[in-house]
Amino acid sequence: MQQMDRRWVYLMVGISVIIPFLLPMTLPVSITPEARMLYDFVEALPDSSTVMLVFDYYPSTIAECEPMTIAAMHHFFRKDCRVITLSNIPLGGPTMAEAVTRAIAEEYGKVYGVDFVNLGYKANYVAVLSGMGQSIESIFPTDNSGTPLSQLPLMHSVVNYEQIAFIFEVADNATADYWVSIVNAGYGVPMGCGTTAVSAPKYYAFVDAGQFVGLLGGMKGAAEYEQLINRQGDAMVGMGAQSLVHLLIIALVIIGNLGFFVGGIGKRRRIG
Amino acid sequence: MKTTVPIIVAFVAGVALVLAFFFDQRTLIGSLSQELRIWLSIVGGFTLLLGVVSITRVNFAAVRQRKEGWFYKLITLISIFAMAIPALLPSSWSPLFGRQSGSIYDWLFLYMDAPMMATMFATLAFYIASAAYRAFRARSPESTLLLVTATVIMLWRVPMGEWLFEQLPGDIPFFLNTYIMNGINMAVQRGIIIGAALGAASMSLRIILGIERTYMGKG
Amino acid sequence: MVYSLVPKLRLYIRRYYYLALFWTISLLSETALAQETERAIFRTDRINALILVLVFSTVVIIYTRWARQGKTLFLRKIPGLEAVEEAVGRATEMGRPVLYIPGISELDEIETIAGISILGRVAKITAQYDTPLTVPVRYPLVLAAGQEVVEQAYIEVGKKDSYDKDIVRYVAGEQFAFTAHVNGYMMRERPATNIYMGAFFAESLLLAETGNAAGSIQIAGTARPEQLPFFIAACDYTLMGEELYAASAYLSHEPIMLGGLKGQDFVKMLIVFAIILGVILTTAGVGQWYIDLFRAV
Repeated sequence: MQQMDRRWVYLMVGISVIIPFLLPMTLPVSITPEARMLYDFVEALPDSSTVMLVFDYYPSTIAECEPMTIAAMHHFFRKDCRVITLSNIPLGGPTMAEAVTRAIAEEYGKVYGVDFVNLGYKANYVAVLSGMGQSIESIFPTDNSGTPLSQLPLMHSVVNYEQIAFIFEVADNATADYWVSIVNAGYGVPMGCGTTAVSAPKYYAFVDAGQFVGLLGGMKGAAEYEQLINRQGDAMVGMGAQSLVHLLIIALVIIGNLGFFVGGIGKRRRIG
Repeated sequence: MKTTVPIIVAFVAGVALVLAFFFDQRTLIGSLSQELRIWLSIVGGFTLLLGVVSITRVNFAAVRQRKEGWFYKLITLISIFAMAIPALLPSSWSPLFGRQSGSIYDWLFLYMDAPMMATMFATLAFYIASAAYRAFRARSPESTLLLVTATVIMLWRVPMGEWLFEQLPGDIPFFLNTYIMNGINMAVQRGIIIGAALGAASMSLRIILGIERTYMGKG
Repeated sequence: MVYSLVPKLRLYIRRYYYLALFWTISLLSETALAQETERAIFRTDRINALILVLVFSTVVIIYTRWARQGKTLFLRKIPGLEAVEEAVGRATEMGRPVLYIPGISELDEIETIAGISILGRVAKITAQYDTPLTVPVRYPLVLAAGQEVVEQAYIEVGKKDSYDKDIVRYVAGEQFAFTAHVNGYMMRERPATNIYMGAFFAESLLLAETGNAAGSIQIAGTARPEQLPFFIAACDYTLMGEELYAASAYLSHEPIMLGGLKGQDFVKMLIVFAIILGVILTTAGVGQWYIDLFRAV
C-alpha cells in the first residue's frame, strides 16, 4: 500500500481528469475575499476608464491564466473601459493577447484602436516598466501590428501611467514582483494580480500590504471571477477535474500513511 | 590585468547602479540604471549566437558519430532551423515567412510549440500526485502537521471540499483563509523573502567589493 | 580586493582626469537644470533605504575585516552543503555522472550567479575525483560563464586535459524544452547525483521527481519560496532562500567570505528587533510614525 508503482498513480490521475470531461459537472465555487476585493475594485471604476491588461504568462499556463484574462476582458468591456494590452513574454504573449482581445471585442462591438489596443512585446521588462512611467510611446512607438500609436485614437489621451486607472497583471512568473516594485510603488497605479496556484500564496502579503487590490489564484481564482461576473467559462468547467484530482491525491496520501503505519506495526510485531 | 579589470568594472557598475537608485531618473546618474539594462539586452542579443553554435555543435557531433539517440538529435537540429530560417526571412518575400499570423513560425508555434509546452506543464499533475503519495508520511510531528495542512488546503481549494466543510460546524473556509493563508502562510513567505533578499544583497556586496570571484572562474 | 585597488584607482583618476571633469560638469549642469525646473535630483524620499544600505555595507565590511584578522566565526551546519562532497563521491563509486543545473534564469539574476559560484566549487570536486559532470543551461550568457568557471576549476586542480568544453552545454531557450531534454538525459544516463542550485520555476517538480525516479541523490537550493515545497518533497536535501547565497562562502571555507555571511546575519537580527519594536508600538497604538519610517518608495 505504501509502495505502489507510480504508474498506477499516473493512471488514476489520468482517469480523474478525463471523467469530468465526459460527464461535465459545473460546481458552484465560494468566493474568497481576495477575489471579491478585485472584482469590487474593477466594478467601482468609473465607466470608460482606461485600464491595462498584462499578458505575462507563457502558453504552458494557459489553462490557469487565460480564463482570468478572458473574464477580465468581459468585465472591462461591460463597463465600457478602454483596454490597453501588452506582454513581457516574448514567447507567445502578444499572440495570446491578440487572440483573447479580438474574439471578445467582436462580441461587444468594440473597435480596435478606439476601444482597445495591443501594444505587443518589448524586451527588457524593467526598462519597459520604468520607461512607460515617462511615456508609453517612447517604449512602444507602434502597436503589435506595426501601426504608429499616433494613429490610434485611444492612445491620443494616454501618455503614461497617470492616465491609467487600473492595471491587471496576469502572470505565471516573477514579473508581478517588478510591476509592484516599479509601477505600483513608483507611480501609485492601483494593481490587481492573477497568477498560478503555485505562486498565489506568495502574493497574499502584497494584498495585505495594499500593493495589490485583489488576487486571483489559479484556476479556482479564475472560476471565482467567472462566477462574480456571471459568466461560465473554462475555469468553472475545469473545477470538476480539479476537484476529483484533489480528492484522489488526498485519498492516496491517506492510503500511503495507512500502509506506512500498518507496515510499521507489522514490522514491530515480527521483531517482537 | 585579467582579474583586475573585471573587478574594477564590477565595482564601478555596482556602485553606479546603487547610487542611481537615489537620484532622479531624469539626471545623468539616475538614468544609468536604465541605460545599463539596455546595454545588457544588447549584449544578451549577441550571445544568442553562442547558444545556437553550442547546440548545433553538440547535436551535429552526436549525429555524425551515430551515438545512441542520434535520430532525436537530428530532429532537434531540423526543428531549430525549420523554425528559425522562415522566421528570419522577410515577410515581403512570402506570407509564409516572417512571424506574422499565417506564417510558418506562427503555425509551428500555435500548433506544435504551445500545445507541447502546455502538455509538459500538465504532467505536473501526475508528478505532484506521485510526489505527494511518496513524501506526505506522518513520520514525525512536523511532517504530520505538513500533511494535515496540505490536505485541508487541497480540500478548501475545490468545490467538493468546500461542500464538505459546509457540512461541518463553524466557518472552516474563513478560518483557513484568515489564519492559515493570511496568517501563517503570509508570515513564512515574508520571512523567506526577507532572508533571501538579505542573502542576495550580501552576495551582491561581496561581488561589488571583489570578495566573491567564483562567478568569473577565479576561485 | 578594493582596498588594494585604491592606489590603482588614483592612477586611473589622474589618467582619466578629463573624463572625470566631464562627468562633474554634467552633474552640475543637471543640478542647475533641476533647480530651474524645480526637479529634485536627490531622492530624499529614499533616505531610509540609503541608511539601510550604509548600515548593511558597514556591518559586512567590519565582519569581513575581523575575519581577515583571524577572528573565529561560527557558522551552523547546512546539511545540504555537507552532503555535496559525499554525493559526488557516491557518483564516483557508481561510475555515473553528476548532473548540475545552475537554475533556468538569466545571468543578471543573483540566484544564477550564486548557482554559477557553487558550480565552480562542485566542478573542483568532480575534477579531483575524475567524475563526469554535465551542466545543461538555458541561456547563452550562463553557458559562457559556466564554461569559464568549470574550465578554471579543472585548471586549478591540475586536470586541464580532462576538461571538455561540452561539459556545460546550451540545451534550449524555452523552459519546458529544457526540462524535457534534462528529464530525458536523467532517464537515459541515470546520473548518481543531481544538484539544482539557482532560480527554478514550474519545472522544479518535473526535474526533481524524474531525478527521484532515476534513483539519483538530489540536492536543491533556490530562493523562490513557491518552488521550495516541491524540492523539499522530492529532494534529499534542500537549501532554502539565503542558504543558497551562503553556499558559495560555506563551501569555500574562506574566512573572508564567512565574514560577509556573519554581517548579513547581524543585519537580520537588527530587522528582527525592528519588527518586534514595531509590533509593540503598533499594538500600543503609537506605531504610525514608526511604520512611516520604513515606507518604501
